[in-house]
Amino acid sequence: MTSNETPYLEQFPGEAKLVKAAFWSSFISLAIGALFGVIQVLHRTDVLRFIDSADYYTVLTIHGVLLVISFTIFFLVGLFTWAITTSLDRPLPSLRFSWGWYGMMVAGMLASAFSMFAGFIDSIDVSASVLFTFYAPLQAHPLYYIGLVTFVVGTWVAGFDWIRTWWGWKQDNPDERIPLPTFMVLTTMIMWYIATLGVAVALLAFILPWSLGLVDSINPTLTRTLFWFFGHPVVYFWLMPAYMMWYIMLPKVAGGKLFSDPLARVVFVLFLVLSVPTGIHHQYLDPGIAEGFKFIAMTNTMFLLLPSFLTAFTVVASMEHGARQRGGTGYLGWLKALPWRDPVFTGMALAGMMFAAAGFSGMINAGMNINYLVHNTFWVVGHFHLTVGTGVALTFMAVSYWFMPQLTGKRLWNRTVALVQVLLWFVGMTLMSNAMHRGGLLGIPRRTAEPQYDGFEFEAGVGSVAELDAQIVIGGILLGLSTALFLAVMIGTVLGPRDDSLPGNNYAETLSGPEDAPLVLDNLKLWTIIAIILVIFAYTLPLLSIISRGGLFGFETGGLPLSISLLGSTIAATFGELLPAAGSVTAPLETAATTLTGIVR
Amino acid sequence: MSSETEPPASSQEAGGGHVDGPIREIGHDEYDPVGTLALIGLYFLILVALWFFMYFVEFIGNDPTVVGSILGGVMVA
Repeated sequence: MTSNETPYLEQFPGEAKLVKAAFWSSFISLAIGALFGVIQVLHRTDVLRFIDSADYYTVLTIHGVLLVISFTIFFLVGLFTWAITTSLDRPLPSLRFSWGWYGMMVAGMLASAFSMFAGFIDSIDVSASVLFTFYAPLQAHPLYYIGLVTFVVGTWVAGFDWIRTWWGWKQDNPDERIPLPTFMVLTTMIMWYIATLGVAVALLAFILPWSLGLVDSINPTLTRTLFWFFGHPVVYFWLMPAYMMWYIMLPKVAGGKLFSDPLARVVFVLFLVLSVPTGIHHQYLDPGIAEGFKFIAMTNTMFLLLPSFLTAFTVVASMEHGARQRGGTGYLGWLKALPWRDPVFTGMALAGMMFAAAGFSGMINAGMNINYLVHNTFWVVGHFHLTVGTGVALTFMAVSYWFMPQLTGKRLWNRTVALVQVLLWFVGMTLMSNAMHRGGLLGIPRRTAEPQYDGFEFEAGVGSVAELDAQIVIGGILLGLSTALFLAVMIGTVLGPRDDSLPGNNYAETLSGPEDAPLVLDNLKLWTIIAIILVIFAYTLPLLSIISRGGLFGFETGGLPLSISLLGSTIAATFGELLPAAGSVTAPLETAATTLTGIVR
Repeated sequence: MSSETEPPASSQEAGGGHVDGPIREIGHDEYDPVGTLALIGLYFLILVALWFFMYFVEFIGNDPTVVGSILGGVMVA
């Protein structure tokens, strides 16, 4: 597939339409999500507050869900469809079926989006301001959960579609190695099937029945743990398509070849095996999970540094190969020979660099003791704006400058604007993310509409909180501007003239190809079994312990508003005054209030 | 395609993934990624330095005291 001269649109016109639709769903989510991000930045820093602080959490939920679920995953399904069809040189078995899973994903996301946006309108009795981390005690309208489940099931069906395309290819080519892009799709999807089991159980068995009023209460620790069972591997679901682009597209646009196909396979196998049994590292501060289980999660997490470092090596070596083929020399002088004027290259390279910086803050998050310093602070927000917010998002935007012409047959409008766009993103994120990390070290909390407190000031060792706020506002506005430019380039390209000199639909050749990779790497059954065994090791005992302590459905707390602790105490006090003899009534009420306060905390 | 036969100027205008052809082909055996070693080595040193810095951030108050003491020292001097 590496010497093909036909653009994707001519190769697979039907699939190109599907990929284009998926990309546009992704871009629309990006547009709304980014706009809401700018609103948050202005509100939090108290520069401009034109929404009610209670609505801040609705804005935050929409920002989170649209960007990390809708933007990323719609882009992923488009990209994976391209990867499967291109690398197998084979169309999808049935386009009608494929449009079916796309339709499911759209319907699911629209339902969830409706329930979130309804939070702004008092006259509609629907709201879902529960943030992307939608666990108890926050409760959303059932439509929100039903929408999310439909969306995820859509991705399952999409995965099946890609797997059966591969099966068909395998029957025609029984002795060939799995092409690398297909291998990446398959390992990522197997990981996704395992990971989403957690959230499926959390939603279908507990949260949805609770939201529908079928059960009175749930065990918050259990649903949190099931959420993070999915909540950590989902970050690799965002990341794997970006990694795919770094492995198979970046070497090509750098003018070189992928350094090692076998190493790339090892990396994806490691992510399949290690992504899921790590989720508890998001719960280092959760009571009710023994330290030993957290330690196991930390160990698994630290092993995940291995595939990330392997990637850093392979990707940089592939870029260097391109630079040297372009005439670059020296230990660092070769960097000058890279095509920095190409937005596709520059966007991806800068995204990779930011991702390397996030490697450090990730190690801090992953350390059980150091995590206490930054847990639930602005630091974490800074971290994931480098990973998903730049490593992934900037890579997706940069490769869109290659994909959009391939999918539409149009000429890219306009290369200079595109280059400015990726640079603006880099500068904006450097400012915003740096300030968020530093703010976190001062103890500034995340998920807070007004982190300004009477009679208390965060003390900055270097600089001041005002300086950090200024960086965040300027950074956030630059990011908003960058998103607008990206959308302008996409729309300009679609509306622009056709390009008859488009390059062929190719990805990078390899220096060391699949023939050098041990056959066992392609044994997906083996890796799946190992992944499942590790999950069983990491999760069986913690889950059993959580259930035995808190019960499957927890204590009788119900889905009540956050102010219940106050309310409960007031009622208890009132009852106490009115009925001094009724100690048997007030005691359970007070216990309930205390329990609730604990859970809310 | 055209980008490989024409000078780089055309690929700069085109955007959308035209790649210039290589000046020279470097095969598997002749390629020695020393630049990668330099860059990854540099990254490793930064990580080690940050890791040491983290010690001060976590254990001695919540301030980056290294910077604080240097700044303080400069001001005293």
